[in-house]
Amino acid sequence: MTTSETKRNHIESLLRACRLVSRINKNRPDCKKSELMYYQMLDKYFNNVQRAKQENGFLAAHTIFFPVEILYAMGITPLHNEVTTWTTALLLGNQAEFLTAGAEAGMAPEICSPHRGLAGGFYRQMLPRADVILWTNLICDNSAKAGEYLMELNRCPGFFLDHPFGDTQEEQAYMVEELKDMISFLEKHSGRKMNWDKLAQSVAEMDKQIKLHAEICQLRKAIPSPFPTRRFLEFLTVDYMFAGQPEATEYLVTLRDELAEMVQQKKGAVYPERFRLMTLFVPPIYLIAFLENLFQEYGAVSATEPLFTYWKYSPLDPSKPLESVVKKSYLIPESRTMYGPLGESTLQDIRDCARDYRVDGCIYYAFMGCRHTCATVKMFKDTLNEIDIPVLTLDCDLVDPTINSQSEVRDKMEQFFELLEDR
Amino acid sequence: MKEIPDKNLTGLSALDYFREINRTFPKTRAIQEHKAAGKKVFGWLCTYVPEEVILAAGILPVRITGYTQETELEDGNAYLYINNCSFSRSCLQMGLRKEYDFLDGVVGGSTCDGARRLFDVWRFYLNPEFFHVLTVPRKFHERAHELYYHQVEGFKKHLEEYTGKAITDESLLKSIEVMNQQRKLLKELYELRKLDEPLITGAETMEVLNGTFRMHKEECNSYLAELINELRKKNQGHKARARIMLIGSVLNNPEFLKGIEDLDTIIVTDELCTSTRYWSEPVVLEGAKNPLEAISRRYLNNFPCARMFPSNERFDRIIQLAREARADGIISETIRYCVPYAHDIPLLSERLKHEDIPLLTLDVEYGTSGSGQIRTRVQAFIEMVEARKK
Repeated sequence: MTTSETKRNHIESLLRACRLVSRINKNRPDCKKSELMYYQMLDKYFNNVQRAKQENGFLAAHTIFFPVEILYAMGITPLHNEVTTWTTALLLGNQAEFLTAGAEAGMAPEICSPHRGLAGGFYRQMLPRADVILWTNLICDNSAKAGEYLMELNRCPGFFLDHPFGDTQEEQAYMVEELKDMISFLEKHSGRKMNWDKLAQSVAEMDKQIKLHAEICQLRKAIPSPFPTRRFLEFLTVDYMFAGQPEATEYLVTLRDELAEMVQQKKGAVYPERFRLMTLFVPPIYLIAFLENLFQEYGAVSATEPLFTYWKYSPLDPSKPLESVVKKSYLIPESRTMYGPLGESTLQDIRDCARDYRVDGCIYYAFMGCRHTCATVKMFKDTLNEIDIPVLTLDCDLVDPTINSQSEVRDKMEQFFELLEDR
Repeated sequence: MKEIPDKNLTGLSALDYFREINRTFPKTRAIQEHKAAGKKVFGWLCTYVPEEVILAAGILPVRITGYTQETELEDGNAYLYINNCSFSRSCLQMGLRKEYDFLDGVVGGSTCDGARRLFDVWRFYLNPEFFHVLTVPRKFHERAHELYYHQVEGFKKHLEEYTGKAITDESLLKSIEVMNQQRKLLKELYELRKLDEPLITGAETMEVLNGTFRMHKEECNSYLAELINELRKKNQGHKARARIMLIGSVLNNPEFLKGIEDLDTIIVTDELCTSTRYWSEPVVLEGAKNPLEAISRRYLNNFPCARMFPSNERFDRIIQLAREARADGIISETIRYCVPYAHDIPLLSERLKHEDIPLLTLDVEYGTSGSGQIRTRVQAFIEMVEARKK
């Protein structure tokens, strides 16, 4: 059988992998309750995806930063395209299969790998066929342009949510109207109605979740830092996939309490903590475990990720659910720092994080498929160098291991740690 | 005052004038004289920026482009990283090397990742006196028009604050008139390309277009009219074995087009932001509440680029243009890392296949001359297209 004949549904494999990780975690003495909860959430999520197809449910495949709370409030099952691709890379290690399929589907190499992979996943029917495709231009051209081809591959309708570039009153009002149109579209195609009470509850949950994110950010300022680098993705995924859901609140409360306890006991994620790092952009997902081991070996910890985890609380109003969904889209750290005109406020966030988290150095994971982040490498590097923070720029890819070998990453990291040691 | 070139290079004095402008850009006499008179010059980037508003403020708008030849982009690479499109890197490098130091302001639209980061980096390192980026919706519905109108209004206010002078409806109407005249003349020029034996090549047309971005509009219009008259007097047009349409990412290097046309072909029309998408629609005052609204509607309704949704709007118009110009085939060039155009390729290929229009897709770098492997691929495509005709 050639690879192009593969039509295996990978959701089943993902489910098995989640359950296997859960079983392993249960037997790990150092495994935190929040970590167990996370894999249970993933299990439930992909189980819902699977059931949606088996029990005549309605499956909506969507791109990153799509307001998933709308789908939950309508009883529609979401499938997060990018997270599904990278979870596959992380848990199944079969990213090559997805990327090859993406190339077969006509995806040019400059298109970012998760988008190539997800197009490949649908092209070869490795992902379940979606009933509807939903996408937004938040945060890049790849997201903005991904939807139409996915509609074609799934032979289904789709809705593009046009997120304005700025945050003026007119732009926020525009976005609210876009959401209304999208809800009408979903009601028409799914036969389901928006449950406004449920959406209001989701907004109330999101409000709690943003507060919890901000509290966790505060706890991570402690020395030693209590948060292990490998759990960075977990932290992101919870918002990407479960925004507004009570289980996300429960997870964040548990995580916050665990971190608070560690801070109180002065326990760190690595021992002894030697290097406190700032992470810019996302580490290669297929190297997460390797990086964790390397960081343990060198006593390094990612203390802050200003572009991804640096939440700032601002209240949401459940009585104005759509306005709150829009407001939240501007509060997401990636959106706040990297969308819209990038200026002094983002640079100030980076300076503030460097100071408040007392970082020794910064690693910029220059994901070659992401143009809008890499274009900031020099700006951010110059900003950090001004305050005497050295920056390692590491060319890599989020899921494609052919860009950079593990040994190359190790060499560069080791050199960087030596440099930090000398300082 | 008109600048007359020393030598009559083509037998078409107006075309030589455009060439002279391009040869001396960015230090053209028009720009230097404008600056010497104490007036402002703004750089704009992206066809969603309403030139009329800049003109109405008494400011000379000049399109920011990069090097129109293959150039090492060391500075561009360092400041924008290598995975941003070579157009953005090339423009930035010219800025960093002070080749745009005459610009008092820079105006852009939130069109694509490459452009928006180019603006961020430009502002951070070059810090122009005036800087403005308009939010450009990706849809065409009424709400998008309302939003874009607010954006254009905000841009006008910002300009008024900067110059200390009100931009009146009268001045907007005047700038609409001059820009519409330019569009009308360029349309006439393009009609001459649709003839059985086109009177002007694609490469020559690109030279003219480059000139239009870099000079006073009234002066440009007089030369365009002169050129059209001169061309109409020509006894013979260009015979070619294949009629080609060129589409895709930003491109303003005449050498690239010449490389294709040197293979005994003629580029009869195009769909580029430096060509048809720049001039295709006039500002229509009828039905608009004021001149500014007419302007904003024109820009959002204009021939869409690949960033806009739905893509079929672009595809439909490409097919219409190809039919009108009786193109035998389409060459689509995508600058590496130009994601919006790269994403369109699978869908566009399907559409064109359905329409029975042959398509060649090329990955290029901005400023490339189209030699080497590109030439070989184009040659093979032309042979295929020619064979279909027989």
